[in-house]
Amino acid sequence: MRRDGSRARLVVGVLAAVSLVLVVLDSRAGTDPVTGAARTVGDAVFRPVSAGVTFAGAPFAGAYETLSAAQGSRERIDELERRNQRLQSRLQSRDYDEDRAERLDELLQLAGRGGYEIVPAQAVTRVTARGFSDTVTLDAGRDDGVRADMTVVDGDGLVGRVVQAGPSTATVMLITDHASAVGARLEDSQEVGVAEGASEETGDGTPLRFELMSADARMKEGQRVVTLGSHEDAPFVPGVPIGTISRVEDTPGRLSRTGKAEPAVDFGSLDVVGVIVAGPEDDPRDSLLPDPPQAAGGSDADGEGGR
Amino acid sequence: MKATVPALLVLAAVLVQTAVVNRLPLPWGLAPDLVLLVVVGIALWSSPVAGAVTGFAAGLAVDVLPPADHEIGRTALLLCLAGYAIASVRDSGVRSGPGPYVAAAGTALGVTAGFVLLGLVLGDPRAQLPDAVWTLLGGTAMTLVVSPAVLVPTGALMRRITGDAYSDLPVPVTSGRGWR
Repeated sequence: MRRDGSRARLVVGVLAAVSLVLVVLDSRAGTDPVTGAARTVGDAVFRPVSAGVTFAGAPFAGAYETLSAAQGSRERIDELERRNQRLQSRLQSRDYDEDRAERLDELLQLAGRGGYEIVPAQAVTRVTARGFSDTVTLDAGRDDGVRADMTVVDGDGLVGRVVQAGPSTATVMLITDHASAVGARLEDSQEVGVAEGASEETGDGTPLRFELMSADARMKEGQRVVTLGSHEDAPFVPGVPIGTISRVEDTPGRLSRTGKAEPAVDFGSLDVVGVIVAGPEDDPRDSLLPDPPQAAGGSDADGEGGR
Repeated sequence: MKATVPALLVLAAVLVQTAVVNRLPLPWGLAPDLVLLVVVGIALWSSPVAGAVTGFAAGLAVDVLPPADHEIGRTALLLCLAGYAIASVRDSGVRSGPGPYVAAAGTALGVTAGFVLLGLVLGDPRAQLPDAVWTLLGGTAMTLVVSPAVLVPTGALMRRITGDAYSDLPVPVTSGRGWR
């Protein structure tokens, strides 16, 4: 019995040591051959299983959505009734709505306007058992031209960046992840700042923070935040919409201004996204930016209308 | 030969966790940890060596499969220690009544706390304390909600494999335990 106990301790010690070595190898910068090969194997196993689940689960997915929607349908109906009234009262401001629809249309053609080459992919996972990280797995990988540090967008704006690319899957860190920081600027005043993920899903529900670099710079609610762009477009291409400032935090004594931002992308219903695999022949510079508002009060009206 | 069933159980749990559970649109981004439950279920009926090996294998599989959001080896280390610790419990009460659920709750708390702690040591910016406490409690609650669905069948299977060796023994004989 004693011999058995010491053998068990030896085995646990060896396994723990192996785990720690793997952790150390994997946490170093760059791709390690051992852990890289392991991830490739995991990828090869995951892809067919995941594809099978997608195929088999399609009917259930619809049912699940119906069921989960049924729970909140009462509130949903109330909300829709309220919205209906609001919309009716706003019929007279139709020009404004048309303008808004036009701009949304333009946002949808984001990729085409910049001339980027995009690989479409589907987000297949969204939660993990540990729940700390906001990452999704895409069903496109190195074979499709996806590499680490590429920008991921969808029709509405910036989704995140690729942190790990396997042969047929890729892991994307969402901009709402705690570890994510995106160089950004305000669309109209061009002030530079950083959009950081706050990932507070159990908190007040605003997953993005925006902090201005300059102490003199100001921001106001309703201003849009776009990416600043990085050297050689890695990891972020310039001019992609990130979100809208929803609340300005005026903390006395702080050197720089911070605010909460509402992401442009609805991360709850993330489905088909695009990975920007190649830039255009010539730099698009600001061509991804939507046209400036027509009237001077345009962005104010936008802010009030959105809330 | 006795190792086949636990190996298949672990494989099934890992695949279901990564391919099915992780894609469900669950509230608050928290998912129940089926792999942890299966490791607990197997380790309860195994020798410490077998428990440790089971935990290590299951953890390594979870680490290697996408999404690659943490270092390979982090879960392997924790589940290995968890498997060893649970299999080392001599008290046979842990295998009957509410015992397995208490073990599962303790393991879920311990493993998640260990995960955060390793994150702090490794400088993971996501391992921040107020958020981590929420994840710790919420994740454990989620895992406990689904635990009967995993622990009951796993326990029944393992009891059958081990030939019900413990039903009449107050103190289990170590040499005759488990699938090793």
